[in-house]
Amino acid sequence: MGCLLAIITAAMVLLWAGRAPADVLKVGLLADFTGAFATWGPQFQMGVEAYQALHGKTVKGPDDKPHEIQFIYRDTASQGPDKARQLAQELVLRDHVKFLCGLDLSPHAMALADISKEAKVPVVIMNAATSSITRMSPYFVRVSQTVPQDVAPLGPWAVAHGINRVYTIVSDYAPGYDAEAYLTKTFKAAGGTIVGSGRTPQQETNFSAYMERVLEANPDALYMFQPAGSPSVAFVRAYVERGLKAAGIKLLGGGETQELFLPNFTDDIIGTVTSFHYTETNTRPANLELRQQVKKMSGDRAVPDIATLAAWDGTRLIEDAVAALGADADGLKYIDFMKGKKFDSPRGPVEIDPVERDIIQNVYIRQVEKGNGTLVNIDIDEVKMVKDPWKVDNPPKSN
Amino acid sequence: MLSFGLTVLLDGISYGMILYLISVGLTVTMGLMRVVNLAHGAFAMIGGYVAGFLTQRGCNFYLAALGAAAAAAAIGAATERTIYRPLYRKGELAQVLLTVGFVFVATGAVSEVFGAFPYPVVFPAYLTRPIDIGFREYPAYRLFLIASGAVIALLLWLILDNSLFGARLRAAVDNPRMARAVGINVSLLFTATFVVGCGLAGLGGALGSGILSLEPAYALKYVVLFLVVVIVGGEGSFEGSFVAAMALGVIDTLGKYFVAEAAPYLLYTAAFALLLWRPKGLVPPRSLT
Amino acid sequence: MSRTRVVAAIGHALPWAIAVAYFFAAPSDLEFGTQVMIWILFAISLDLTLGYAGILTLGQAAFFGLGAYIAGLFALHVCADPILGHFAAIGVAALFGALTGAMILHTSGVTLLMLTLAIVSMLSQYANRATDLTGGDNGLLGIRLDPIFGVFEFNIFGKTAYVYALVVLFGWFVLAWRIVHSPFGRSLDGIRQNPHRMRAIGTPVWWRLLAIYAISAAMAGSAGALSAHATRFVGLSVLDLLTSGSVTVALILGGTRRLYGGFIGATIYLVVQDYSAKINPFFWEFVVGGLLIATVLLLERGLLDLGPAVLRLRDRWRAGQRK
Repeated sequence: MGCLLAIITAAMVLLWAGRAPADVLKVGLLADFTGAFATWGPQFQMGVEAYQALHGKTVKGPDDKPHEIQFIYRDTASQGPDKARQLAQELVLRDHVKFLCGLDLSPHAMALADISKEAKVPVVIMNAATSSITRMSPYFVRVSQTVPQDVAPLGPWAVAHGINRVYTIVSDYAPGYDAEAYLTKTFKAAGGTIVGSGRTPQQETNFSAYMERVLEANPDALYMFQPAGSPSVAFVRAYVERGLKAAGIKLLGGGETQELFLPNFTDDIIGTVTSFHYTETNTRPANLELRQQVKKMSGDRAVPDIATLAAWDGTRLIEDAVAALGADADGLKYIDFMKGKKFDSPRGPVEIDPVERDIIQNVYIRQVEKGNGTLVNIDIDEVKMVKDPWKVDNPPKSN
Repeated sequence: MLSFGLTVLLDGISYGMILYLISVGLTVTMGLMRVVNLAHGAFAMIGGYVAGFLTQRGCNFYLAALGAAAAAAAIGAATERTIYRPLYRKGELAQVLLTVGFVFVATGAVSEVFGAFPYPVVFPAYLTRPIDIGFREYPAYRLFLIASGAVIALLLWLILDNSLFGARLRAAVDNPRMARAVGINVSLLFTATFVVGCGLAGLGGALGSGILSLEPAYALKYVVLFLVVVIVGGEGSFEGSFVAAMALGVIDTLGKYFVAEAAPYLLYTAAFALLLWRPKGLVPPRSLT
Repeated sequence: MSRTRVVAAIGHALPWAIAVAYFFAAPSDLEFGTQVMIWILFAISLDLTLGYAGILTLGQAAFFGLGAYIAGLFALHVCADPILGHFAAIGVAALFGALTGAMILHTSGVTLLMLTLAIVSMLSQYANRATDLTGGDNGLLGIRLDPIFGVFEFNIFGKTAYVYALVVLFGWFVLAWRIVHSPFGRSLDGIRQNPHRMRAIGTPVWWRLLAIYAISAAMAGSAGALSAHATRFVGLSVLDLLTSGSVTVALILGGTRRLYGGFIGATIYLVVQDYSAKINPFFWEFVVGGLLIATVLLLERGLLDLGPAVLRLRDRWRAGQRK
């Protein structure tokens, strides 16, 4: 009897010991959790946690060793790029992260270029949308979008649908300039005329003066580019209040009408046409999976947006990279792995450009309508596998 | 051209009305109690959020606005006894810091409770449309702001010039020591005025949410604006803050129309120049000390 | 040596000993230590104007930011030598301080406060718009610095930056100490308490205020240059109102008119901010706000007063006991 017990105990101990402890691979996620851009951080976190809940936190490397992918979240507090730089440095030196990710604002991402090179750490950019960013460091890869990419298809679409005169009003910062430049370029190239343009101070909510100018110019459509939040809500309100909608001027835009923000608008926004890379209500299997998981974890009122989407895809890329190369590979090797990867994202099919390390994806033209009592974006057109036009226009200088 | 000029004027005045509504309480606090209250914007913000909360749940807009004023006034009453009383003797710097601390706490609280997104106040439909004012269509909302601002300004003026309370208040602002000497209960006056000032700010925050959007950063974002109105107008001066609010509202709007690139500078440059020209404010309170 | 002198000597040596010890004890956290020292310098510069001279200002960030941008631009467009760039930053900041001081120092109280706010706001707006010069939102990127004296180079480990900041801080501290304990410094004390009386006894009040304002500007500009050099980056936040407010908070936390108050205040402010941001990214606003309120309500003279405050409490309790 005692012998049997001994054998069973020994077997149990051996089985337990054989279970190799998962070592932890840390990933630093930098985003704004407080301040003016406070929605990005939590939305990123939601995407990461949803992906890891469904697909697991632990991946097995090529040597069958399990690695737990642990995300460390740091708040850049809607402050300047120096804060992002400081936090990234701490994550690298103190916490020994193997990857950095997140980064909702372009200046934050740019500030990491030097650190990524000095510390040899890959950076998976999950939002920062200025085109040139991926060229600033060979360790940068982007899974979100660029502004020109989202905007360019709208120009030809507008001309093809009877809009020949457009007035543009953009917010006075780099993404705004990109939007203005690329809409103007593609719209004119398709035969349209830009009858006027304006730039509004960032975070401005008092648009009366600008709307007056638009009324004077009497275009077929007004193109807006405003940060999501109070500026875009105030913009649409002013558009209606000042009689532009009543005068028949259509409203064109981009990310302002994301599902997350639609409840802030009144029904006046119905009819607005936008071009964007993610229509949240699409019925692709990957999207349904994402939405279901988000609802399960964060309740019915939780809505995935482009941050959640990019975090989901970014987590996938990181986990796949570690699964293929293990936890101790060289930073550039992880980047090489990610180059050229094609997969089905909740937004549709995507590819990581093997040269530019940027995302190639579909861009959808949508219109805001009322469905089942709520405002929703309905796809009315689609442009397939759009490469960032800025990169096409500005080929890399040969080194 | 005339139409354009009138539009700019109306836009500037309606903006100025909101600035006035919110800042009038601050001018009294700073002129009467001599407390630099950087948290004044927080009262406007709280009022706005309360109105938003109520209207989003179907409450009548005007009732919600009254609710906003009441809530802000109540919080004002509570904080006056606990946070502001000790500040009277402490000197300007302590006041600046403590009220900034209060702003931080309010900002954090609002983020936690209402979230980081902009918080809309649901206006009645007729206020969101343009109406015909003869030479053009103009937003009803702005006309409403001008009307309500004018009514409140008139009421305040009537109370100040024609009531005992008003007389006592003006006496206390001009010369608190003398006022006490003739038996005016200055500390009760302080509390009452502070509470009314906060209530007005809350009302301004609710009514003005169409121009000054409600979000957690509201209190910090706009505090410089309110301070400028008060200081340029002259602390403690009701007429001064009215004039300053109108002037700054119109200057800011004009700036946006004509020199959009320089618009953000314009306000500060104007304030800077005005302060150098008249350090005691545009309409300094008449004081014997 | 008498006991008080020994205690005083230890008190003086302590912060510097800690700074040196930190260098060896926390090699992967040097950047944070450098930041703390930069902010200590910044806080001390404010102590000279706000604390000693009683100049009510919320615009100290104007000089800090100006110093930072000049240092950055100098390295990018003129010469990558950090020492030269540092002197350029100090010079420009001092000049700007003298110019703006001359324009506004005849006012006082809240008017003066507003004017300083207007100045820093205008400078901030300008930097925002002049994107060709300042990089705007993206900031000044790609700053490369020559090694100091050709030997000590700047990198992400931050050893050079730390020692550099320590030396600069020490130099300014000695200067500030001499100023404050000189007749000039005493006269500033008098001016703060009663400018009319000082004028009555013939002190050239306006000139003294202008002088300390310019010196304080030079110091803040130096802190800004250190910031630009240590991080090899300059962003718009250096000119932010929040930056001005934060350094004021840090100074008050530690206690004005003590010079060492700046040490305590800046350290505690940065540590608390860092720590509470890590616990819960949403939380730090509460903590900082609460800390501010508590400090003002409870500790008149800042945290440096904590010791004496406790002693006073003890004495009062003892007196109560004796009854």
